[in-house]
Amino acid sequence: MAGTLPADRELAQQILAELRAPRVAAAFACGGLLALAGALMQTLFRNPLAEPYLLGVSGGAGLLALLGMAAGLAWPWVSGLAFAGSLLALTLAAALGGRMLARDHTPLLLAGVMLAAGFGALIALVLSVAPAERLPGMLFFLMGDLAWAGNAPLLWTALLLALAAALALARRLDVLQLSPLKAASLGVAVAPTRWALFGLAGACTALVVAQAGSIGFVGLMVPHALRRLGFAGHRLLLPAAALAGGSLLVLADALARTVIEPRELPVGVLTALIGVPLMLWLLRRP
Amino acid sequence: MSLVARQLALRAGSRTLVDALDLTLEPGEVLGILGANGAGKSTLLAVLAGLALPVRGEVALDGEPLAALPPLVRAQHIGLLPQADEGGFLGSVAAFVALGHYPFDATPDLAPLLAAWELADLAQRPLATLSGGERQRARLAQLAVQRPRIALLDEPLTHLDPAHQARLLAWARSEADAGRSVVLTLHDPNWAACHCDRLLFLHGDGRWQLGTPATLLTPDALEGLYGPGTAALWRQGDRGQPV
Repeated sequence: MAGTLPADRELAQQILAELRAPRVAAAFACGGLLALAGALMQTLFRNPLAEPYLLGVSGGAGLLALLGMAAGLAWPWVSGLAFAGSLLALTLAAALGGRMLARDHTPLLLAGVMLAAGFGALIALVLSVAPAERLPGMLFFLMGDLAWAGNAPLLWTALLLALAAALALARRLDVLQLSPLKAASLGVAVAPTRWALFGLAGACTALVVAQAGSIGFVGLMVPHALRRLGFAGHRLLLPAAALAGGSLLVLADALARTVIEPRELPVGVLTALIGVPLMLWLLRRP
Repeated sequence: MSLVARQLALRAGSRTLVDALDLTLEPGEVLGILGANGAGKSTLLAVLAGLALPVRGEVALDGEPLAALPPLVRAQHIGLLPQADEGGFLGSVAAFVALGHYPFDATPDLAPLLAAWELADLAQRPLATLSGGERQRARLAQLAVQRPRIALLDEPLTHLDPAHQARLLAWARSEADAGRSVVLTLHDPNWAACHCDRLLFLHGDGRWQLGTPATLLTPDALEGLYGPGTAALWRQGDRGQPV
């Protein structure tokens, strides 16, 4: 920016303080929340390939948000609808598949996968009949886009609270990696702890989706990669996931804004473009 | 005192597996449970561990019903080695073994235990890279870290080579000598004859027999338990010989 006129510099500073800084802050918090939710879901399902959207959260949020967009509602309403859709998906998953959670997480997993498939079909239906001029906005929501993420203080508060709550469970989560019977024999109340994981991961995911749409890949790749790199204990894994997830999303968002300037890309495209090669490289490590 | 089961009834669906079982686990004894596949051995262990409820009857630890004990307190006294594998665990062997100490506050000194189960060289390896027998030793070491007064082991001999079966036997005997109780399910009558103080036969239809190996282990009783032709598996002559 050297050599620019004073008025330009003022404008640049204003843009930095009022537009860029909040967006970077929101991006970091969203990435942290998604990676944290992914780590919790992987422990809940004892599967390092689990991710925040496994229970149909993105589908439920996407469906209601798209219906709102098709009806021409403004963003705050769409955001509220997305949040409601997330809660709807979580409630349905819990009601349909949650009864055996103390012993077996498979029914919950199946219910979530089925819900995600159902919501996916309905989303495709909405997309195919929606007015053409609304389609780009819808696609950006489905891919995830931080242009909407206006409430950085809320996201940061949520991130810090969720991280503190998850860390309070850390030792119990280590034990929960064992079979449910073994974990119970060591004194862990399996069902309440699993429901706490479900609620915590669900809340983190629902909040992010309502702020920035369904940003993909961060919630799967970050915790999975960290586990592969040797972060097995939750006391380290959880804060590391929040840090790495936040950093990755800040980087992806910076690229999303600049790669085809002055136009922007949905940030979800970038998280996948950065994440896929990283993941493949990790897979090749011995 | 110790662990007392009164009038236990266990069912799988509509089938009665065990009926009216009375069992008092004495401190210092090794009890072997024998029975055909599906006879209710694992179910009984889960009930004795306080992790499943019987259809009838109750289990009490020092006079206190297990259902009334807080999970952590129960885990400070009763340990279980289930059959299911620990497939979801991505950490090291040492981290896996250390989880056995969860019911207690202090950090355990793992080195002697890892050495005792010949895991010292494997301690930093990811658990998933171990062989079946090595993993079984890690699971046993995890139970040994918990050091339960009542140890319930479901088919602990699985995957173990003879040397490590002997190691398991020595551990069970030393636990018993220290005044703790060891219960294990197994399928080898020879092993049961040599190393168990008492045996419990589960017939899988509600009937059960409890007694010393000398009184219970006869060819007829084995065929009654497992079916015709199975007595040939038992070498009566080896009875009482150490492994």
